[in-house]
Amino acid sequence: MSGEEEENAAELKIGDEFLKAKCLMNCEVAIILDHKYEQLQQTSDDPMNQVSQVFEKSLQYVKRFSRYKNPDAVRQVREILSRYQLAEFELCVLGNLCPETVEEAIAMVPSIKTRGRAHDDEAIEKMLNDLSLIKKFE
Amino acid sequence: MFLKVKLPWNVVVPAENLDAKGPMLQRSIVIRLLDDFARRKATKDLGYFLAVTTLENIGEGRVRENTGEVLFPVVFSGITFKIFRGEVLDGTVHKVLKHGVFLKCGPVENIYLTCSKMPDYRYVQAENPVFLSEKNPKIEKDVVVRVIVIGTKWLEAEREFQALVSLEGDFLGPVSCENPLD
Repeated sequence: MSGEEEENAAELKIGDEFLKAKCLMNCEVAIILDHKYEQLQQTSDDPMNQVSQVFEKSLQYVKRFSRYKNPDAVRQVREILSRYQLAEFELCVLGNLCPETVEEAIAMVPSIKTRGRAHDDEAIEKMLNDLSLIKKFE
Repeated sequence: MFLKVKLPWNVVVPAENLDAKGPMLQRSIVIRLLDDFARRKATKDLGYFLAVTTLENIGEGRVRENTGEVLFPVVFSGITFKIFRGEVLDGTVHKVLKHGVFLKCGPVENIYLTCSKMPDYRYVQAENPVFLSEKNPKIEKDVVVRVIVIGTKWLEAEREFQALVSLEGDFLGPVSCENPLD
């Protein structure tokens, strides 16, 4: 079905431009879009009429699927995950889905366990612990 | 996955919007850019266009001889959304059919989960049709399901993406209500 037979996010084969590009977690997008929407509210009586359908649907989605709401917590999530030599794509999948166990994390992002990468189960476990602490104190 | 992109683009400002100088001109360029951005909707490479976040640079305008319009090369940052094969994501069921269900995920609404990729589930006809399983929670309209993307397709005419997804894999399936999502 896909034109690019090679593409496979599970193996981190998503094209160089996306591997290097900055990915955003749902909670980060929620903050940016919310801010945009507030700006529109100040200048327009009917802000929902001013935004595209793509904007509207995305805003609904990220509000529903953000694990962290507080901007400080969102910043901390990225900071903590950044310590683990993850690709941008991997970082954001973990931040979005918040796996609770090492097995679940590997199922969500199989590439963290591929050969030659420094993630043993212990490191992944520590990363998940750090993440769950943010959630607790949010 | 949401992506932060930096794009060069050409913005064409009609002659009648050019009479005022300074901030008014910049305003015309921004309005035009936002307009074009929303109308473009999506591209095959970058996915759906959500929002312009910052206008980084406005280059020197060039007058088009026939029309008097002025073309400004601009560089801006924005957010796009694209789904990748192999990606695991959460979607919401919005239509239940006999042979599978349609999910939506952000701007993408044509995400199809066929019954052949829903192990152990069987279709039950009712006023609100549903897929039931012995071991797992039911799948019906408005249920959130965690899936893996097995194929994507770009439709040039509609400027839309379609995707095929599957439940075959560990930790995939309906996301329970006790989940601390809300």
